[in-house]
Amino acid sequence: MKQSVYDMVIIGGGPGGYTTALYAARAGLQVLVLEKLSAGGQMALTQQIDNYPGFPEGIDGYALSENMQAQAERFGAQTAYVQVQRVDLQAQPKVIETDDSVFYGKTVVLATGANPKELGVPMEKELVNRGVAYCAACDGMFYKGKTVVVVGGGNSAVADALLLSRIAEKVILVHRRDTLRATKVYHEPLQKAQNVEFRWNSVVTQLLHGKKLTGVVLKNVATGEESRLDCDGVFISVGRRPATQLFKGQVELDEGGYIVAGENTQTGIAGVYAVGDVRTKHLRQVVTAVADGAIAASVAEEYLANG
Amino acid sequence: MSAVSLTNKQFQELLRGQKPVLLDFWAPWCGYCRRIAPAYDRIAQQYGEDIVVAKVNIDEEPELANAEKIEVIPTLVFYKGGKAVDSLVAPEAQAAIARFIQKNL
Repeated sequence: MKQSVYDMVIIGGGPGGYTTALYAARAGLQVLVLEKLSAGGQMALTQQIDNYPGFPEGIDGYALSENMQAQAERFGAQTAYVQVQRVDLQAQPKVIETDDSVFYGKTVVLATGANPKELGVPMEKELVNRGVAYCAACDGMFYKGKTVVVVGGGNSAVADALLLSRIAEKVILVHRRDTLRATKVYHEPLQKAQNVEFRWNSVVTQLLHGKKLTGVVLKNVATGEESRLDCDGVFISVGRRPATQLFKGQVELDEGGYIVAGENTQTGIAGVYAVGDVRTKHLRQVVTAVADGAIAASVAEEYLANG
Repeated sequence: MSAVSLTNKQFQELLRGQKPVLLDFWAPWCGYCRRIAPAYDRIAQQYGEDIVVAKVNIDEEPELANAEKIEVIPTLVFYKGGKAVDSLVAPEAQAAIARFIQKNL
């Protein structure tokens, strides 16, 4: 089936994707957003967003996602709920394929975001949902009154530890350094929590288990000493991995897998832009993702006008 | 038509029917459950003729969740001929739910 060619096809319906769609649609472009599940990406999993300006009481990430989608669609942006399997970004027009459909775009915006990174210890995959988890907001309630370990030292690890401290009996934060990397604002509530303990300079080397996780083996990176820690759950919060598998070999990626693109969101291929968490940038937040979206739409508009 | 919400009793009755049943075990506090909900409703529209697409709030129906050995949510379970034949935990995409249904139809 021959499909029409869109001015812009956006892969990913998070804040970066839908803001690009909003600006592009308002500029009169024919815009299609390809989303595999539902609007929002990682943002939709965040119950309370307190650092997106304009919402003094904070806002639920899921509601913000739906709002961003509705706003872009109000100006004519369309959404198709499909899972992209292959892209040809060099072709003219550019080609985006799913298992049973093909889409064409004069420009393509890569807005696929990032996902939680794995720890990389044996049995990790097998024990997912049997004690190994990556999302405290999602799975925390299963550990009511239990002992959980949180691995990591950044903002999301600390936020996870705080959330879990209100649910679990005991929370043990394991971090490979001797101080938290998290923003200061997170430190105090965590130090104050009665049921949070810290294991500094430590990494998880083994997951102990029967049918489910029963504990972890920690290694002190300073002394080399190993110790055993009984727990019911491990929440892994050690950073994110960009969803760029689809684009490998077509656009330049940095050593972390992020798409190399500057503030103008341009990749090495004319008419292909990268917005949001998937792009090399200093700070990955909703507010920086939406800023990318506005810029990408403007740069694409100029590209189309000159093409 | 969006996915219907079931009680344990309604579920037991549906199981005796002709149509296969797809159940989504979820809870309001589960972020990922919320994320798949709009996709699940679109699945209900797409496949509602051939199967019953329904969901169960595990907070409201803990006995059913226990009986079905649900350890994590969201879990989708496909019932055919009155019994569970396959399950899918935390689908990554709407297309993954569609593939799961087609595989089990």
